[in-house]
Amino acid sequence: MAMEASNVKPPVSAIEEAHLDLYTIPSYSSWFQWGNIHEIERISLREFFDGSSITRTPRIYKEYRDFIICKYREEPSGRLTFTELRKSLVGDVSTLHKVFTFLEKWGLINFSGTVSAEPAEVQQRHKKEVRVEEGAPYGVRVVAAPNSLKPVAPLPRPVDVGGGGGGELAENGSKFPPLASYSDIYGELLQQQQQQGEEGKELVLCGSCKQLCDSGHYEHTKDEFLLLCKKCFGNGDYGSKSAHDFKYVDDTNQVVWTEAETLLLLESVLKHGDDWELVAQNVKTKSKLDCISKLLQLPFGDLMLGSALRKTKVWDRNAGQAVPAHSVQDTVTGDDQQHEHKNQGQQNANVEDPGPPHKRLCTVPNLDASSSLMKQVGRLSSVIGPPVTACAADAAVAELCYENRCSREIFDDDNFGDELGYSARTDEEERVLPVENSEGEKGPTVSGASEHRGNELQEQTFQKNVVPLTLRMRAATATSLGAAAAHAKLLAAQEEREIEHLLASVIETQLKKLQRKAKYLENLEMIMEKQQDQFGEFEEDIVAERMKVLQEIISAGIPRWKDHTSMKSLTGNVL
Amino acid sequence: MKPLSTWGSSRNPVKFRIPTSDNLLPIRLDIEIDGQRFRDAFTWNPSDPDSEVVVFAKRTVKDLKLPPAFVTQIAQSIQSQLTEFRSYEGQDMYTGERVVPIKLDLRVNHTLIKDQFLWDLNNFESDPEEFARTFCKDMGIEDPEVGPAIAIAIREQLYEIAVQSVASAKESRMIKKGRKGFEHIPISKAGGIAVDLVKSFGNKSSVIRKRKEWDVFEPIVDLLSNEEVDALEATEERNAR
Repeated sequence: MAMEASNVKPPVSAIEEAHLDLYTIPSYSSWFQWGNIHEIERISLREFFDGSSITRTPRIYKEYRDFIICKYREEPSGRLTFTELRKSLVGDVSTLHKVFTFLEKWGLINFSGTVSAEPAEVQQRHKKEVRVEEGAPYGVRVVAAPNSLKPVAPLPRPVDVGGGGGGELAENGSKFPPLASYSDIYGELLQQQQQQGEEGKELVLCGSCKQLCDSGHYEHTKDEFLLLCKKCFGNGDYGSKSAHDFKYVDDTNQVVWTEAETLLLLESVLKHGDDWELVAQNVKTKSKLDCISKLLQLPFGDLMLGSALRKTKVWDRNAGQAVPAHSVQDTVTGDDQQHEHKNQGQQNANVEDPGPPHKRLCTVPNLDASSSLMKQVGRLSSVIGPPVTACAADAAVAELCYENRCSREIFDDDNFGDELGYSARTDEEERVLPVENSEGEKGPTVSGASEHRGNELQEQTFQKNVVPLTLRMRAATATSLGAAAAHAKLLAAQEEREIEHLLASVIETQLKKLQRKAKYLENLEMIMEKQQDQFGEFEEDIVAERMKVLQEIISAGIPRWKDHTSMKSLTGNVL
Repeated sequence: MKPLSTWGSSRNPVKFRIPTSDNLLPIRLDIEIDGQRFRDAFTWNPSDPDSEVVVFAKRTVKDLKLPPAFVTQIAQSIQSQLTEFRSYEGQDMYTGERVVPIKLDLRVNHTLIKDQFLWDLNNFESDPEEFARTFCKDMGIEDPEVGPAIAIAIREQLYEIAVQSVASAKESRMIKKGRKGFEHIPISKAGGIAVDLVKSFGNKSSVIRKRKEWDVFEPIVDLLSNEEVDALEATEERNAR
């Protein structure tokens, strides 16, 4: 009975057809080819290739393999089982199973179809094997959860006071508290201070029981924010600190600052800067130390300290005139400085009125120069309120104008002639003076201030040009867009350079890879040639031996027999 | 390269053994005492000491709560099968190149199995248990008794064929001289149950079966209902008597 030819579509025709199906095999099986039998197959399924049986030949193996893979690919989503398969193949089931497992191991079949009944069975078995135990296992002790109410970490001051924004700070300890307004964080404190203003006493809240500490409180030496009232300290309610770390602070001699005094203080600081003697004199009722500490306690107090330095000369000259609310004070160009400028704007606005809360820049915007210009501007403007943004915009425009002479002509407020370069002080002069200018102040002061300039310039700038507003605006937008464009261009250039660089490195790597491959192939070739030579030699040797043997046989006169087996045994004797 | 000598050939007969990777003997018990019937099948390792037989019998009776009369019967049955096996052991077995069809036709509890496939007698590393495992897994059989039953059925058939080949080896040795080749021997001597290798595996034919034959070689697994089981049991008993 002749078997008909394989009735499975041979893979070659599948490729010849227009549509090519895509099958996934793992990358470690990329050696597989339809037309060939690879070394891996020869080694793993040795019995097919050693001629040990007529039932196992390379041809048979290839038929098995191709059939199995094709059969699997008829239904790639399902899992091809061995039992389904063996009915279609003639051969010993053990051998077939070996081929099947080989192909499965290498992912040539059943690769995507990982759904099989076995995992479900295994899972079920595992489920049955689960033992439910009562209680905790040995060696594990169940304790009550630690008291989460007790503050474990030192809390910053605002949390003691309470408030919505501050609460979050305590919980996750993040560095940047959410954008809370001043009233959120300092709300209670404000109230207290108002009360205190009435009562004349500063209130302190205990860190653990959140109540007012009356006469004295205990302050942690390392962290001045951790306060405990006498009662809590007596109770031993320390949180995570030890008793030794707390020192007693007597509250009885608190310094009281009224609003009037605070106002005086601020003015004198602005006027005298760092000269605490003078400040103390101005604020007659308070000592030097008190002034300093009070100033530090105020929001922006420390900033005032710094900036006060720079303002000294200016204020001297102007005999202590307060700057009107919308100020254009600044020192150097650049966005970074706008920050400070805004602070000053706010501060100055609040000189007359320190009470009302204003937005505090709790979040220090990460003003790194690497983020784009627009981003920075956007961030800053989102943090602060509109009027301040307007001031800032004015200032920025003014700054930018200085770089460009023609735009300066439009914005006539400022003095010309800084091609000589900036010095911080002269800028200030210019800024301050223009403000006064715009209000229509006296000319002599202007000329006096800028006497090193040419007279013509003074005259030029002295006029109050009424340039139409639209032109100004256009100029303003033009300059800002120009700045943004310049920045963008720089970034683009940088990107391009990087792309080129990366491309070059990619090409280099590819070349290296090719080189290595070529070298490898050369080596292989060499080896093959050598082997070929060796085989040639072997062949010659064998032929020579054979001839020798035949000769001896003939010379010994043994007649030639047709029976090969007996001849072999005889030759065995001869040799 | 696998050395040819481990495979039985006309030149190198192999000592008799079950042609599987582990030389386990299939034992079947079918004992009836006083109307009580005990049937069982399992594999036995013939290299175990014979004292184990009695121990095993006693344990079986105790576990299954059979009347103690069974002990001796069981032990006797096992022993006799062992002895029979041992009688073949000393002799040469000639297997040649033989691929034999194995047929399964058995009922285990509620599962009925019919199947046939080819088995290489020369493959001394074959494993009926592994085959049975794969079978049960692929067919989704959950009854844990089915696997071993399949394995034992396979083993029994292999054993039988091995015994036949011992017999045939005896005969063939007498008529051996002058014979060429060994392909013809299995057909003529062993009852013609082996597959004609040249026809099946030779270069002119394909090892892929014809589609219409696939059904013949496909396993059939039936789950029977209780009534069917009872009916079948009744017929079996009738046949046994």
